[in-house]
Amino acid sequence: MKERYLKYGLLAPALAICAVTLFYPLMQSLIYSVHDWRMSRSPVVGAFVGLSNYADLLLHDPDFLNSAWVTLVFTVPSVALTIAVALALAVLLAGSGRLEVNARMLLVIPFAMSPALIGISWRFMLSPEFGVVDTMLKHIVPGLGKAPILSDPTLAMVALILVDVWHWTPYFMLTFIGALASLPQETLDAAQVDGAGSMRIFFEIVLPQLRPVLAIAVLLKTIFSLKMLDQVVTMTAGGPGAATETVPYLVYTTAFRYYDIGYASAMAWLLAVVMMVLALVYSRFLLGRKT
Amino acid sequence: MMTRTAVPSRGEAALWRRPRWRTILIWLVAIIWFAPVVWIVATAFKPRADVFALTLLFKPTLHSLIAAFAPPFLVGARLWNSILVTAGTLVIALPASTVAAYAFSRFRFPGGQIWPLVLLATQFLPPVIIVIPLFVVFKNLDLLDTRFALMIVNLSFIVPYATWMIKGFFDALPPDMEEAAQIDGASRLRAIWDVVVPVALPGIAAAAIFSFVVSWNEFFYALVLTRDHAVTLPVALMSARTEQGDAWDIMASMGLFIIAPMLLISRFVQRYFVKGLVSGAVR
Repeated sequence: MKERYLKYGLLAPALAICAVTLFYPLMQSLIYSVHDWRMSRSPVVGAFVGLSNYADLLLHDPDFLNSAWVTLVFTVPSVALTIAVALALAVLLAGSGRLEVNARMLLVIPFAMSPALIGISWRFMLSPEFGVVDTMLKHIVPGLGKAPILSDPTLAMVALILVDVWHWTPYFMLTFIGALASLPQETLDAAQVDGAGSMRIFFEIVLPQLRPVLAIAVLLKTIFSLKMLDQVVTMTAGGPGAATETVPYLVYTTAFRYYDIGYASAMAWLLAVVMMVLALVYSRFLLGRKT
Repeated sequence: MMTRTAVPSRGEAALWRRPRWRTILIWLVAIIWFAPVVWIVATAFKPRADVFALTLLFKPTLHSLIAAFAPPFLVGARLWNSILVTAGTLVIALPASTVAAYAFSRFRFPGGQIWPLVLLATQFLPPVIIVIPLFVVFKNLDLLDTRFALMIVNLSFIVPYATWMIKGFFDALPPDMEEAAQIDGASRLRAIWDVVVPVALPGIAAAAIFSFVVSWNEFFYALVLTRDHAVTLPVALMSARTEQGDAWDIMASMGLFIIAPMLLISRFVQRYFVKGLVSGAVR
């Protein structure tokens, strides 16, 4: 009996924290999402409107549909590129030479940088008046005029994707280096004795064995990409126009610029449902690998 | 290129022997990933006239840093907010996470292994969904723009992850450790404190580094919940975007303070932050 008090007692502080900061807000926003509440007009929740916020979002709101499309356009390349570049860098930097070790250490610093600061510094480097990227591009593609990258809808999205790839690559690279190190060395040695080239070894022996790790990485990066927000706020502010207005950013402006709390909550929940499905798949993966 | 000679002498597998193109590629990668860090540090010390110049050769000056401390940017006050919020978050989060991790690791709960996973899964939710109701609560309690509100919100993403990380370390420890101590007459709590916690200290340290990095860098919650009094450094970056355009020199000075601790503890960040993240998320 005493043990029962102890085990729940030990859990109590963390549970209380999660109840206040996670479970309560989740339930509360679900309640807001079925009410009409424009906070600028009324300090308390308005009338119950059923699912009409959701219906409006999915059927009549071109801004939301645009943001869903923008999120997709951002997520797919950012996931694919991050995983591909991280894998390439993992192979490049997996060695234990001093240069490799130092380079790995160097790459961790930008990953541990505040996403807001990352957004700001890339905004500066991409700005036309400073234009370090601008200048370099002109050397590679002669005849390219001054390209105000962040004021062009397509280029702004490309920049947002590349900065995100830049941000997350070190993390997934280290994941892959860990996975590479745990591969059985014998098959690699045998393949080398047989005279297989390093390209063939990589694609036919290494890559298939990395499949489970790659699957988890793709899943995780998809989740991270779907909720990416800091760089949108600091780099592009959703612009130009609504070209980089992702769903999280639209929720943010709807809730805290227009104070349409009910509508914003419904939008946030639509996004959350997608994430919950992904999280469920991810949990299954983890549980499956443990047993 | 003196580092090139280090590899073959160790007798590494031929796969990792490094030809020249590989050395060049590694340098290129290092430059691409480190450029913004160099930019921030360099710009913070550049004279105002040189901020927009590509040159790396300049006379370093403290002019921008001093300007950043003056109104309206007040980096000193923002820095103090960042320090207090991060410290407060860690002081609450680490003990709570450690005991919860111990409970998850040693006791059976109805539902089995699902609960720590549920905690972890909450971290996949978009922050916007959490912040809307919390904004309302803090507004009603008159706690908007306070450091206390930020600490509470930071706990929402630090406690679940730190619990998950520390649990991994407890799982690796044999349970007979504290049982042996109990036979010697110590109470269970004593046994945990005296025997288990010291052994799990590397795990707790890893969680502490992780929590420090994430809390120090946190931007979005602070953006929504603060206006003036409790503004932290990452949010202060936005205040340098003035009507007259972006004050890049000020932003760089603020950035310097944001990355300075990361650079100082980069060894530990490398060892604990990423390893903790990697093992927590993928294994």
